[in-house]
Amino acid sequence: MTWHLDPEAIHRYARGAAPPALAASAEAHLMGCAACRDGLTSFVDTRRAETIWHEVVDRVDAPRRSGPERLLTRLGVGEATARLVAATPTLRGPWLLAVAGVLALAASAAQVDERFLRMFLVIAPLGPLAGVAVAFAGGLDPTREIGLAAPYSGLRLLLIRTAAVLAVTVPIVAAAGFALPGANWPAGWLLPTAGLTCAALALTARVPPVVAVGVVASAWVLVTAPAAVAGHLDVAFGAGAQLCWLAVAVLGGAWLALTRHTVTTKLGRSA
Amino acid sequence: MTTVRVHGVTRSFGRTRALDGVDLEAGRGVTGLLGPNGAGKTTLLRTIATVLAPDRGTVTLLGRDPTRPEDRTRIRERLGYLPQDAGFHRGFTVFEFVDYVAILKEMTDRRPRHDEVRRVIALTGLASVSAKRIRALSGGMRRRVGLAQALLGDPDLLVLDEPTVGLDPEQRLRFREMISQAGEGRTVVMSSHQTEDITALCNRIAVIHHGRARFAGTPTELTAQAEGRVWTDTRRSPAALAAWRTGDGAFRNVGDPPGGAELIPPTLEDAYLLLVGEPEPAVTRS
Repeated sequence: MTWHLDPEAIHRYARGAAPPALAASAEAHLMGCAACRDGLTSFVDTRRAETIWHEVVDRVDAPRRSGPERLLTRLGVGEATARLVAATPTLRGPWLLAVAGVLALAASAAQVDERFLRMFLVIAPLGPLAGVAVAFAGGLDPTREIGLAAPYSGLRLLLIRTAAVLAVTVPIVAAAGFALPGANWPAGWLLPTAGLTCAALALTARVPPVVAVGVVASAWVLVTAPAAVAGHLDVAFGAGAQLCWLAVAVLGGAWLALTRHTVTTKLGRSA
Repeated sequence: MTTVRVHGVTRSFGRTRALDGVDLEAGRGVTGLLGPNGAGKTTLLRTIATVLAPDRGTVTLLGRDPTRPEDRTRIRERLGYLPQDAGFHRGFTVFEFVDYVAILKEMTDRRPRHDEVRRVIALTGLASVSAKRIRALSGGMRRRVGLAQALLGDPDLLVLDEPTVGLDPEQRLRFREMISQAGEGRTVVMSSHQTEDITALCNRIAVIHHGRARFAGTPTELTAQAEGRVWTDTRRSPAALAAWRTGDGAFRNVGDPPGGAELIPPTLEDAYLLLVGEPEPAVTRS
């Protein structure tokens, strides 16, 4: 090597303050010049070098995130929350296909008979509700036992999974609803769904989520199915009923906030 | 220092009493729970892992009371747990799964969390399969993934339920080595019905049978209980609680020896057989 970098150039390169042309030239020279590399050592900020190295390792070593996780982070969801959502059992393809299939059948039947059209409104809120229940069913969440012994807040997990399930299932139900012939209540099921979900979540202070959803869903079917068959849709979907569902949703949310420690217990965190 | 203190713990499932007034203490090192299937080992470990609350009795973990929400969270921050039937999201890769559990352990900053995930993956010898999907791994490898997630955050208390079940001899040896290393400087409570694993790993043992702790002490103390109760003979002795033909053709008899019997030194397994072979009251209550 017939020439060497002057100390000023080495210093600027080490600080990351060298212009691109100088940096490229210095880099090429340093690759082949042990003397200049030795000279560079004293200027290197080891903490900065370690940070850069960690970043490189992390970029190279961390696996590529799944499609849903990348979509969620693009939508502004934190990468940790996106990973938790990706592990929600109800958000897997077979489950979503089952919900879509049931609703498609209900919508097809509604084309034939007006009574089925009314029954669709009874069934519609059950899809999202079932999704919430299944998200916490012990048999379907393979890591439930490990999760129970982890410090992550049970309430936070409950809300994240519920929001994820609703975000996916509500559009499916909405699509089926708008495909109905001459429907007077295409979105009439939305507030009942919100109210029923909040009521179920509020009950998790007393019983596990699966039981809470079971109780709420049974009560809903027992009350609305006879009214729907008789043609009295106002009972569950009229303006007055919608206000009631809004109130149930608000009260359920408030109760959930008040009983947040007990909710943790009923998710199985009972010790 | 005692990390785990269980006193008079009772837990029933319906009419079956799984734990019936169990007392247990565990400190630094590996404490083994030995007992037959259905003895109550898993229920006790789930209680120690804060997954299950006892019906009666008290549990103190790392000096805290797990019935208090604040204490429970603090305990879980310092706890690692490998359940008996540890499930996995089979579509996740090894890295993704361990990363998922790290999030549940409240490691929210991505870079330090990924560093920790890489650390435990390397520690359990999984670095070469880190990017593989869990569904493509063998049973032994999956068990290692379970151990890796339990080691996240370098916990002070490690609860391992049948960690070596279903492993081949080579994998069991590897696992013993990992558990032994994990027991240096922290408290490990593990269950097994394999006396070899307990002998090889544990500095303390509790024998659980019919929901009760029938023995608590060191392996040497347990083995000493069978002193003078193991003998060899050319035939299966009617006085023996258990007897089997050994490789040299003689019968090894365990029980109350007849006069003039040729006594031999007992093993931990002999002592265990004597403990669990004795009659016990029924565990199912009306």
